[in-house]
Amino acid sequence: MPGVKDSMGLSPDSRARFNLERASVLILEESSMGMSILVQILTGFGAKVLHRAESVEEAQGLVAKVELDLVVADALGPGGEGYDFVSWLRRSRIEPNCFVPVLLTAGHTPGNAVQKARDCGAHFVMTKPLTPITVLERVLWIAREGRRFVECDSYMGPDRRFKNEGVPAGQVGRRRDDLVGDVGEASEPNMEQDSIDGMLKTRRVTL
Amino acid sequence: MSSVKIHVPVVRLAKLLRTPGGVPVADAVKRAGAGLESLRAECLDELRVTLDQAELCANRANGEYDAAVADELYAIASAAIGVPTACGLAPIDTALVSLADLTDYLRTRKIWDPNAVAVHLRAFRLLLHTEAGKDSNGTKAILEGLRRVSQRYAKPEAAADAKSAAG
Repeated sequence: MPGVKDSMGLSPDSRARFNLERASVLILEESSMGMSILVQILTGFGAKVLHRAESVEEAQGLVAKVELDLVVADALGPGGEGYDFVSWLRRSRIEPNCFVPVLLTAGHTPGNAVQKARDCGAHFVMTKPLTPITVLERVLWIAREGRRFVECDSYMGPDRRFKNEGVPAGQVGRRRDDLVGDVGEASEPNMEQDSIDGMLKTRRVTL
Repeated sequence: MSSVKIHVPVVRLAKLLRTPGGVPVADAVKRAGAGLESLRAECLDELRVTLDQAELCANRANGEYDAAVADELYAIASAAIGVPTACGLAPIDTALVSLADLTDYLRTRKIWDPNAVAVHLRAFRLLLHTEAGKDSNGTKAILEGLRRVSQRYAKPEAAADAKSAAG
């Protein structure tokens, strides 16, 4: 999508095009109004293949039957069943759905569910209220290729270390590729990591 | 030591998004906004029901901590977050987030502050039934006041002080 910035901060006036027409999207949302809001947003984006589930059981049935390109799941109340659904999805071994980009939405995350939200394996946890531009930003962001996927005993999901902000000031890096040396004072604002990554990544261009 | 497998799965969504055709970002955002606008009446009805449920629930507490009431009020407030913004009443979402914060703190600490709950519900009613639902200086002052009330219970020591002041 030339013109669509990889980082968040998408302009609502952008003329860059994207195509969600053929994307198969699962929406898990128990509240009928919450479902209507998401359906209006996603159909506004041009999505046509929407699979709606009002419960975890329905969503699990769809995961087993349909190949999905995007999952938008709500945390589902104080119990956080939506987080459990994402954990189940990752561990289900139903390929390719177990690797599908997941956008988790939550009205409010109670203090005792923060760890669950962090560890469930979603690509992004988005706090409500949702607005069309923020949902689109997140969808485009989680669809980026090249994000690593981590599988271990305690976690299965996208690599959460997607920012590389370097070694903390005054400390010596422990990674082999950490650079050492003195750096002068910055004379202008830092470039965003996504912009740097974008410069290093091979892209097809239209001349 | 447990094993860790790291790989880069194929993201079909990325390819689909790039397929020819589609829609410009500006048009998509506009169409989604128009879709949400079509839900306005339904959203307002839903908010009225939410407010009634929240008031009935809070009244059941009789001024004292009741785990079932605290859990139910938290569930009512948190479930409605997102609906106000969809019908152009974003300040009510801020009030609901503050109410959800407050009830989460109260139920975690097993205490109750009827005044703090009541002021949130009165603000909800005011914002829903007046033009205060739109952004204005008065609305900002109300929301800032609510935030200060709910944040009094954010830390354990502050909660103890707030409880003794309320009681």
